[in-house]
Amino acid sequence: MYLGLQARLDRLFNRHGDGRAVCVAADHGYMSDVTPNVVNLRPITTAVIQGGVDGILLSPGQAMRLAPFFQGRDGPALILRADWMNMPRLGTSNVANAVPQRLLWHQKVVTAGQALDLGASAITIYLFLGYNDRIEATGIEVCARFVSECHQVGLPCIIEPLAYGGQVTGANSVEILTLGARMAVEMGADALKIPYTGDVDTFHHLVDVSQVPVLVLGGARSDNERDALELFAEGLEAGASGCLMGRNVTKSPDPQRLVEQLCGIAHKGWPVERAMRTEEWTYLKLKAHPAKCTGCMLCVTACVASHDSGAYGNHLARLRIDPGVKTGQHKVMFCTLCKKCLDVCPTEALRWHPENGAVELLVDKCTACDKCVEICPTEVIVHSDAGIQIASGETLDWYPVVCDMCGGEPECAIICPTDAIFVAERKELA
Amino acid sequence: MDSKSYRLREFINPADGRSLVVDASAGLVLGPLPGLEHFAEAMRPISHLVDGIVASSGQARNFTGRTRTDAALLVRADWTNALRGPDFVLPPETISHIPLLNPSDALDLGASAVVLYFLLGHEEQIEANCMRTTVQLALQGSQVGMPLVVDVQPVGPRVVLRDKAIELGVSYALEGGADGVAVPWPGRASLEMILKMSTGIPVWIKPTSLEAVESELAEALSLGAAGLWLDGRLFSWPDPLGVLETLRAKVHKLISVE
Repeated sequence: MYLGLQARLDRLFNRHGDGRAVCVAADHGYMSDVTPNVVNLRPITTAVIQGGVDGILLSPGQAMRLAPFFQGRDGPALILRADWMNMPRLGTSNVANAVPQRLLWHQKVVTAGQALDLGASAITIYLFLGYNDRIEATGIEVCARFVSECHQVGLPCIIEPLAYGGQVTGANSVEILTLGARMAVEMGADALKIPYTGDVDTFHHLVDVSQVPVLVLGGARSDNERDALELFAEGLEAGASGCLMGRNVTKSPDPQRLVEQLCGIAHKGWPVERAMRTEEWTYLKLKAHPAKCTGCMLCVTACVASHDSGAYGNHLARLRIDPGVKTGQHKVMFCTLCKKCLDVCPTEALRWHPENGAVELLVDKCTACDKCVEICPTEVIVHSDAGIQIASGETLDWYPVVCDMCGGEPECAIICPTDAIFVAERKELA
Repeated sequence: MDSKSYRLREFINPADGRSLVVDASAGLVLGPLPGLEHFAEAMRPISHLVDGIVASSGQARNFTGRTRTDAALLVRADWTNALRGPDFVLPPETISHIPLLNPSDALDLGASAVVLYFLLGHEEQIEANCMRTTVQLALQGSQVGMPLVVDVQPVGPRVVLRDKAIELGVSYALEGGADGVAVPWPGRASLEMILKMSTGIPVWIKPTSLEAVESELAEALSLGAAGLWLDGRLFSWPDPLGVLETLRAKVHKLISVE
C-alpha cells in the first residue's frame, strides 16, 4: 500500500532526484469562467510538457481526454482535481460572471479509486477556512475521507488550504493559512498546495510546521513575469518543494518558456536573473568596462564569499582589482579563458569544464608544479590555503585555485553595482 | 478505436462527422406532449430520418425492433422539474435534479449513449450535483464504453449573460468528461468559442425556433458543429416529417445548405 504511495510521490517530486516539482494547474475550466487558457488547453498542455513540467493538475474530464500526454516514463505526473467548488464565480466583482453564485459550494466529485483508474499520481482537494463554520466542517470531513480513501489505494493526497471569506482579513490571513497547513497535515495530507504568504519568514514558518512537501501556488496572473519567478524563488528559499502555478503559466504568452524558467530555478538552482535571460549561453566570457570600475572590491569579496565562506581576507579571490597607479584608473583582472594554463600544464590537470566552459582543475592529476600560476597573464590563479590528499595517496601542499565562472552565474558580474564587469558573450572553446 | 467511439459512430455519421438527433424524452418531465402521446407510433416514421433518438428509460424499452436504417437509441439518464414553467400544471417550487440510471443500465437497454442535463442558474447545490453526476457518468461510461452527451440548460433565474452561461456549461461539461454536448443556439461568436474549446468533441445545436432552424443550422455547420438536436417541440410543428427530411438533407449535405 505505502509502496504505491511513495512511488507516486516520487513520480511527482523526484523526477530530477532533488525532491522538487514544478507543476502547472490547468483545471480552471472546471470552476471558473471560460477564459482563453481554458479554451486553448491542449496547446497549453503541449507547451508546458515541452518546457519540462513535472506535474499537471487537471479536471477528471480533461484527464480522460488528455491521457496520452501523461504516458511513458518521461511524461509528467497527473494530478487530479477530485473536488469541485464555485468560489471564482461568487459575488458581483467579476463583471464577466454569466451565472453569479451567492453561496460557496464545495463537494467531493470523484473517489480515490477512480483517480487511480485515470492514472493519477496524486489528487488535490480544497480546505476552505474563514468562510463559515459549515464550510470548514464540510471541508474537514471531505479531506479526512479523501485521505483515508487515498491511503487505502496508495495515492498521495495533496490538500490545498485556502483562506477565503468574511472571517479573513489582511491581518490574519497568514495565521489562517498556517493553521490550515497544519490542520491538513494532521488529517494526513501527503503534500500541500498553498498560497505564498508574502514573505520568506512567514512562509518558512508555514513550511516548518507542515513537515510535508509544500507546493507554492501562483495566484492570479501577474502582468510581470518576473513577479511569478520571484515568488517561486522566495518560496523555495523558504523551504517549499516546488510550485503549482496556474494562470501565471496558462495565461502566459509563452507557457513553455515560463515553465523552463521555473524548472531552471527549481532544478538547476538558477537565480531569477538567470531564468529571465532569453539567450542560452553555454560558455561564458567575462568582460570589463575599466572606466566604470570604482575599485569598491565588491566583486572580489563576492567571489570569496561564494566559494570560500570560511576564508579570511580576499587572497583566495579568482579575480583582482589592479589599483591603476600608473593610469589613474582601476582595472578588473579576471580569467580571460586565454588557455595558457591549459597548454602549460604537464599533466593535463586543467581542462575546459564540459558544461560551462570555464577552466576546471582535475585535482587528482595536479602535481602543484606552479606553472599555471606563473603563466597566468592576469595573475588570477592563486595557491589554495590548505593542502589536499589526492587519489594516488599523495598530499599536495597546495593546489591552484581557478575561476569556475560560478557554474555559469559569475557572482562578480551579478554584484557589480556599476556593471564594470559583466558576462558579455558566448565563448567558443579553442 | 474504443467501444465508446464505436457507439458514437452509431449516431454520428462517420463519413461526414454530422448528426441529427431528436430528443423525445420530455414526457418524463412534461407529460404527454402534442404529437408524442404515443411514443412508439411517433418514432416509427422519423426513425429512418434521424441519426439518434433520445428516450427515457421506460420508452426505450418500447423502442424495439430497430433495423440498421433506424436511428440509434440514446437514453435520458436524469430527471428535473427545472424545465417546467410557471404555467405548468405542477409549477416547481424548488428545483430538483435526480440521476435515474447509470451507463451500465444504458448498456442493458441497448443504448448508444446516455444524455444528462446540466442545469445552470439555479441553486448552487443543483449545479454542484450536475458536476458530480457528469463526472461520475463520464468515469463509469469510460469503464463500459458508454458515451455521455451533456445537454446544457442555462434556464435558471440567475443566468445573467445567456451566451456566456452556455459557454460555461460547455466548459463544465468538457471538464467533467462529456463526449458530446448539446447547446441552445448561443450566437455565432459564442459558438466559435465553444467549438474551439471542444476540440473535436461533437457539439449539437438546439435551434431557437422553427423559423430560425435553417439559418442557425447553416451557420453552425459552417463553423464546424456536429449538427442539430431537436426537442419535443418538433412534434408540434406543422409537418414534422417534412421538416426532418429537409433538415436531414442539409445536415448530411444531401442538398446544398444554401
